[in-house]
Amino acid sequence: MGAPRKNYAAPAGIGAAALGFAALPMFGAWPFAESFLYLLFFWIALATSWTVLSGYSGYVSFGHGAFYGVGVYATANLGAHVPVWLCLLAGGLLAACLGAAAGLVVFRVKRLRGELFALLTLALAIVLGTVILNTPIDGGPGISLMAVHLPRIYNNASSTVYLLGMLAAMASLAAAWAVQNSRLGRGLFAIADDEDAAEILGVPTLRFKIAALALSAFLAGAAGSVHALFVSYVTVGETFSITVPLFVLLMSVLGGARRWYGPAIGAVFVAGLTNLLVGGDWALAARALIGFTLIVATLYLPEGVAGLIEHKFRAREKPEPRRAPMPASANDNAPAPAPISGAPLLRIEDIRLAFRGVRALDGVTLDIREGEILGLVGPNGSGKSTLINVISGFYRPDAGSLVFAGEDASGDEGHRRARRGIARTFQIPRPFRRLTVLENVVVAGEFGARGLDHAAALACARELLEFVGLAERADALPAAINLHQRKFLELARALASGARLIMLDEVLAGLTPSEITTAIAMVRKIRATGAAILFVEHNMRAVLALADRLIVLNQGKIIAQGGPRAVISDPAVISAYLGDDDAQP
Amino acid sequence: MSATLLGQSVLSGIFSGCLYALLGLGLTLSWRYLKIINLAHFAFIFLAAYLTYQLAGPGGRPPWLVLLIVVPLFFALGVAQQALLDHFKVDEFASIIVTFGMTILAEVFIQWIWSADFVRLETQFLRGSFEVGAFFLPKQEMLMAGASLALCAATAGFLRFTWTGKALRASLDNPPIAASYGVPGQRLALMTAGAAGALAGVGGAFMALLFTLAPSQIYTWFGVVLATVMLGGLGSAMGVFAAGLLIGVCEAVTMALTAPAWAPVVPFTLLIVILVLWPERV
Amino acid sequence: MLSLEKLDVSYGEAAALTNVSLELADGEIACVIGPNGAGKTTLVNAIARLLPARSGKIRISGEDVSGLTPQQLADRGVALIPEGRRLFNTMSVEENLELGCYRASLRSGRAQSLDEIYTMFPILRDRRAQKAGTLSGGQQQMVAIGRALMARPRLLLIDEPSLGLAPVVITQVFETIKAIHARGVTILLIEQNAAKALAVSQRAYVLDCGAIVAQGSPAELRARGGINEAYFGHGG
Repeated sequence: MGAPRKNYAAPAGIGAAALGFAALPMFGAWPFAESFLYLLFFWIALATSWTVLSGYSGYVSFGHGAFYGVGVYATANLGAHVPVWLCLLAGGLLAACLGAAAGLVVFRVKRLRGELFALLTLALAIVLGTVILNTPIDGGPGISLMAVHLPRIYNNASSTVYLLGMLAAMASLAAAWAVQNSRLGRGLFAIADDEDAAEILGVPTLRFKIAALALSAFLAGAAGSVHALFVSYVTVGETFSITVPLFVLLMSVLGGARRWYGPAIGAVFVAGLTNLLVGGDWALAARALIGFTLIVATLYLPEGVAGLIEHKFRAREKPEPRRAPMPASANDNAPAPAPISGAPLLRIEDIRLAFRGVRALDGVTLDIREGEILGLVGPNGSGKSTLINVISGFYRPDAGSLVFAGEDASGDEGHRRARRGIARTFQIPRPFRRLTVLENVVVAGEFGARGLDHAAALACARELLEFVGLAERADALPAAINLHQRKFLELARALASGARLIMLDEVLAGLTPSEITTAIAMVRKIRATGAAILFVEHNMRAVLALADRLIVLNQGKIIAQGGPRAVISDPAVISAYLGDDDAQP
Repeated sequence: MSATLLGQSVLSGIFSGCLYALLGLGLTLSWRYLKIINLAHFAFIFLAAYLTYQLAGPGGRPPWLVLLIVVPLFFALGVAQQALLDHFKVDEFASIIVTFGMTILAEVFIQWIWSADFVRLETQFLRGSFEVGAFFLPKQEMLMAGASLALCAATAGFLRFTWTGKALRASLDNPPIAASYGVPGQRLALMTAGAAGALAGVGGAFMALLFTLAPSQIYTWFGVVLATVMLGGLGSAMGVFAAGLLIGVCEAVTMALTAPAWAPVVPFTLLIVILVLWPERV
Repeated sequence: MLSLEKLDVSYGEAAALTNVSLELADGEIACVIGPNGAGKTTLVNAIARLLPARSGKIRISGEDVSGLTPQQLADRGVALIPEGRRLFNTMSVEENLELGCYRASLRSGRAQSLDEIYTMFPILRDRRAQKAGTLSGGQQQMVAIGRALMARPRLLLIDEPSLGLAPVVITQVFETIKAIHARGVTILLIEQNAAKALAVSQRAYVLDCGAIVAQGSPAELRARGGINEAYFGHGG
């Protein structure tokens, strides 16, 4: 992902391949090749559908047996009564509804862990299979599809099934490509790396996960609808077997689950092996090879074959160091600098939050005014980070209200707050680790307060990387840049969002003195763009140098506020820091 | 439905439940304490079952003697597997895939040696049933249930009362601090994996005693045993036993009241209900 | 007892400690004070072998321990009371204490050690079966101290014992530290609360931005006034 320009070679290739495969039966392809190719297409369709959800967002589904099964039984029950294309549509739509409904339930489980999602989706497949087995949908013995009327395109029903399978595969590939290069896809990749950070940057995580699940289920359902025609006798045991989702997982991981074409590679390898090597010892050897490949690939190729290919590619085409045209001013996209008007941008009132009975915030009320730098200091554990987490919407306070730019935002989720113009950085930077530096900033531009389209977000991200001095590292992964660069990356993300309030959580911690000087200059520049800054910092020299006002938090309460110099001479502040034993050192 | 028939169903449910717990015990330990979702646990169980079938077959050794071979062997297998996973720093998600690959290899191995056909251990060991009132209590199932309860209780007691058990729990809560008090985390992990392997060995021996075996049967146990493990609360030995009983009895009653084919719904419905009522449970 | 020679520690490329040297005599109690983010916890974790040092030596009773595992360090009689307590939260109070005497050589003294801890903190005897994670902050700190004492340490590293505690509890904790020292345990105390730490210490080091910027007896440091500079960036 992350091609700077949209590259339409891929969909063109998919289209050309579709035409080529569609023409094959004209040359009188023999039945074995036809059914062999069909099986490859079927597994490509299924594995690719899986990756749209699980590969991109990182939520591993074992429920694709269920979505595929819905499609299978849609055809089995409707096939004799309605045209085939309607069966396919119905199979897809029913599966999508099931997926969306399941998503609405499971994604609301608090702190849903990946393996829990996997098992819940597995449960879905097993429950659904049992229900179908015990109701007239199947009834037990299975359903024959001999009565289904298939249009004959090449004077031959089996060629029709072949064509439908090919279409399902191409449709899945096209969908996976489109998602990967869309806003949805970029949001999903962010979710896969750090869901909380994605939400804080403005990605509507719940909506995106449900959308991906529904789309993925639709594609799996459609593939299932076609497959029912191919097997022509469907049973619950075969359809809902646990090996279906496991093989889909295997193919995607093997091929590379984070690229649209990865699962297809895995599907061709696995399905090819199992269907070429059939009978007796050969089949056994094929299975052994698959099992072995799976182990070795997971241990040595975490990004699958596709990842390997791309790394080779990247290494070969060393791009000349890109000198982005220097923007006239880094502030072009920023709102016009506003003088400190004194109008409150953010007002929080009487915020209270307790964890397990420990009062982290105990009635905090404060204003942040347009264009000011408000310093927030306090001893360890005084509640500073908790306060940032409350303002950004990560924690829900037990009580209290939050008004931003004159509107009550108390009930907003994290991504809504980001859209309103609240951004933050993390004390320990939390970049999306599998996105490049540039892509990290693009996510913020696309999903933040400005809501730029992709091209504008890219342009803005390049400018900002120039602004924070990371232009040279735009294509590096976050792991390859050092701590202070990662901190600047956080700043660039906050800026790209176009936020009106930026909360800086200890940006200076861990930096060397010269880096601190650079960082302080950077904060001044950010302020010059007109954004208000909540500056949480331990380094008092920096706070004194930067803050217009200072607030001191201790034990979850504000113990002093006002002009910085006056505040730090306050005896209450000195004793909070140095202890009250004999407070005059 | 007569009370006797229902009673007999509940009894058979208890026996199934004990088996679920026995098969899930090792799994819950490695999931909780090693962060490994070991699908190969099922492969180990079937390897042990086939080994038991081979060694205890007609004219062969008594099954209890076979255990003396199987248990140390599978302890070693568990240790070896953990050493491999640890070497590659396999995380929870990757562990599913890697151990699934191992399961496929084991399935192939079994099919290669013993064919894909069903086989049945023929043994005179503990044939027949006790009759208590109107109920039949098959002796082999009784032994399995006893072993399941004993192993779950022993594991729970071990974790709760011994130095090693406490060290293991401390290591889970806070590895570096535990290490700074002298807890050898890595060695404990290998030992836990070995114990889980040995439990798979015991489970396999009973699997051979009670069931007809085929390599494809490995996969049929995934769902219900994973549900048992999650329902029981990861790492809880008595929890897995209670969950096994609950699922087994609910399944049996469901089967008796409706049709046998409805049974697979039971464990997952229970799981979802529990998850909705107490989300922090799992 | 403990001596650090030119210790350097870094996280990746970011230096966290540079050229830190420090001496602690047998039976002494010394403190390292400094503002948040100065590198205090990094220092104590490096001594406890929970973090690798990039260069420099850590000696305990003359022996270089820079290459030892945390387990081996425990065998040398070093115990840590970590920042934020870091108890075994899902285990009971008594189990937490028992883990302190996990090493084989200590196990026979378990009952006696437990009794001593319970005499020192009677409330813990009442709460012995309670999960440590459900205790109040002050009680958790008692468990953390008790757990370390169960290891019968010669050198005790205490990291920010005042963190997140109410003032009255902080006073109690420092009373306890004094009492432990009075029993002959050598203590290195890491603390942000300078006043409290100086009041119990015989020697003090001021850490700022990963380097020792002042050292001496508490009285000297108070007289010199370098502490305010480190904390607030301006003269007192």
